[in-house]
Amino acid sequence: MYNIQTGAPLSGVRLSEIKAFLLSRGLTMEGAADYYVALREDDGKIVATGCLDGRVLKYIAVDPSTEGTGAAATVVSELVSYAWQQGIGHLFLYTKPENDRMFRSLGFYPVAKTQDVLMMEDQKNGIAKFVDSIPKKENAGTVGACVMNCNPFTLGHRYLVETAAKRCDTLYLFVVSEDASAFPAAVRYALVEKGVADIPNVIVTKSRDYLVSRATFPTYFIKDRANTANVQTDLDIAIFTDRIAPALNITRRFVGTEPFCPVTNAYNERMKQLLPEKGIELIEIERKNGISASRVRRLMAAGDLAAVRELVPDATYEYIKDHIG
Amino acid sequence: MQIVTKGVAGTMESSDIIVRIEPAEQKGIDLTLTSAVMQQFGKQIEKVIRDTLAELGVEDAIVNAVDKGALDCTVAARVKAAAYRAAKCEGNTAE
Repeated sequence: MYNIQTGAPLSGVRLSEIKAFLLSRGLTMEGAADYYVALREDDGKIVATGCLDGRVLKYIAVDPSTEGTGAAATVVSELVSYAWQQGIGHLFLYTKPENDRMFRSLGFYPVAKTQDVLMMEDQKNGIAKFVDSIPKKENAGTVGACVMNCNPFTLGHRYLVETAAKRCDTLYLFVVSEDASAFPAAVRYALVEKGVADIPNVIVTKSRDYLVSRATFPTYFIKDRANTANVQTDLDIAIFTDRIAPALNITRRFVGTEPFCPVTNAYNERMKQLLPEKGIELIEIERKNGISASRVRRLMAAGDLAAVRELVPDATYEYIKDHIG
Repeated sequence: MQIVTKGVAGTMESSDIIVRIEPAEQKGIDLTLTSAVMQQFGKQIEKVIRDTLAELGVEDAIVNAVDKGALDCTVAARVKAAAYRAAKCEGNTAE
C-alpha cells in the first residue's frame, strides 16, 4: 500500500516534487490548485498525484509501474470526497480520450470531446439536464445564439442583440454564469433581462457551467494567454456545437467584432473555422462606436457617471448610480 | 431523516463504495449508480441503497454511488454514514 499525503496549498519541496513527477508523466503544472493529493511509496517516491482547482480535477497522473493497483482510484476518491465536504457538488475533469473507460469506472460521464481532450463531469446527464432546462419555443423558425458576459450590459451589447434578433426568428442569449467578473452573475443576468425585455424573439438564459465557465474555459478569466487557450477553446466550442446547438436547433452564432481582447478574438477566429463544419454559421457584427464593457468599468473607476450614462441602457445606469462610491 | 447538506462516505478503493448524498429539489430518491459489477449485482446494490435510505426515513435525496464491488453490509454502512452526515446528525447513533 501507499502513503497518502494531502494538503493545500502547495509550496516548497512538496510542490517541486509533484511538478517533477508530473513532468515525468508529460504534464506541465500551470497555476495553483486548492488541494492536492500525492501517493508515496515507503521510501517517499511519488507514484500518483491529483489536484482540485475550483470544481476541476487536474493533474491526475499515475506511475506506469502502479497501474492496476487502484492508485488512480485512491487519488480520485480522495479529491471527490474533499470537494463534496467543501460543498462543491459538480466536478469536471479533462483527460485524454483513451482514459474514457477508466474515469467512467470512477463515476465520471463524458460531456464533450475534441481530438486531444475529453471533458467529463461527475453527474450522469448533467449536460443533458442543462439543455433540457433551457426554455424552448414551438415553431422557433431560424434559431440563433450569442454568448455574452455583459460585465455590465452596455448599449454595445444591446446593439448586437438587436441586430442579431433581426437576423433570426428566435435568438438565445446565453449570459455567462461564472462569478469571476466585476459585476456579480445575478446582477449581470438581471440587467440583461431588463435591457432586452422589449425584443420579443430573444430568450435570455444562463450558461451555467457549460459555456465559457471556469470549468470549460479557464483561460478566458486569465487574459494574457491567447496561445495556451487553444485546447479549451476547442472544447468549449465542441460543447456548443455537439451538445447545445443540436438540442435547440441553433444554426447561427452571433459575435461582436473584437478589437481589444486577444483571448476573445482568438476564440472568435477559432469559431470561424469550426462552426461551419457543424452546419452553424458564424456571423460577426461590427461593434457600435467601440463601446465596450471594459470602457464602462474604467469610467466607473474614474467616477465619470455622465460618460457612463452615454454608454449603457437605463437599467444598467440606475444600477451603477446606486452602487458606485 | 431530512437531508439538509452534502454528505459523503466511503472510497473508490476495491471492495468499497463511495456514496454521496445531497438535498433534492424534487420528491423521491434520484439515484445514480456506477458499479464495477453492474451487470451481475447492479439491481441488488440499488435495492440495498434504497432499502437503507427507507429505513432511515430519507424520502427525498439525490444519491450518487460509485461501487467497486462492495458487499451488501458495506453498502448499507456507507449509505448510513453519508446520510447521517447529510442530515447533520453525525453524533446520532440511533438504532
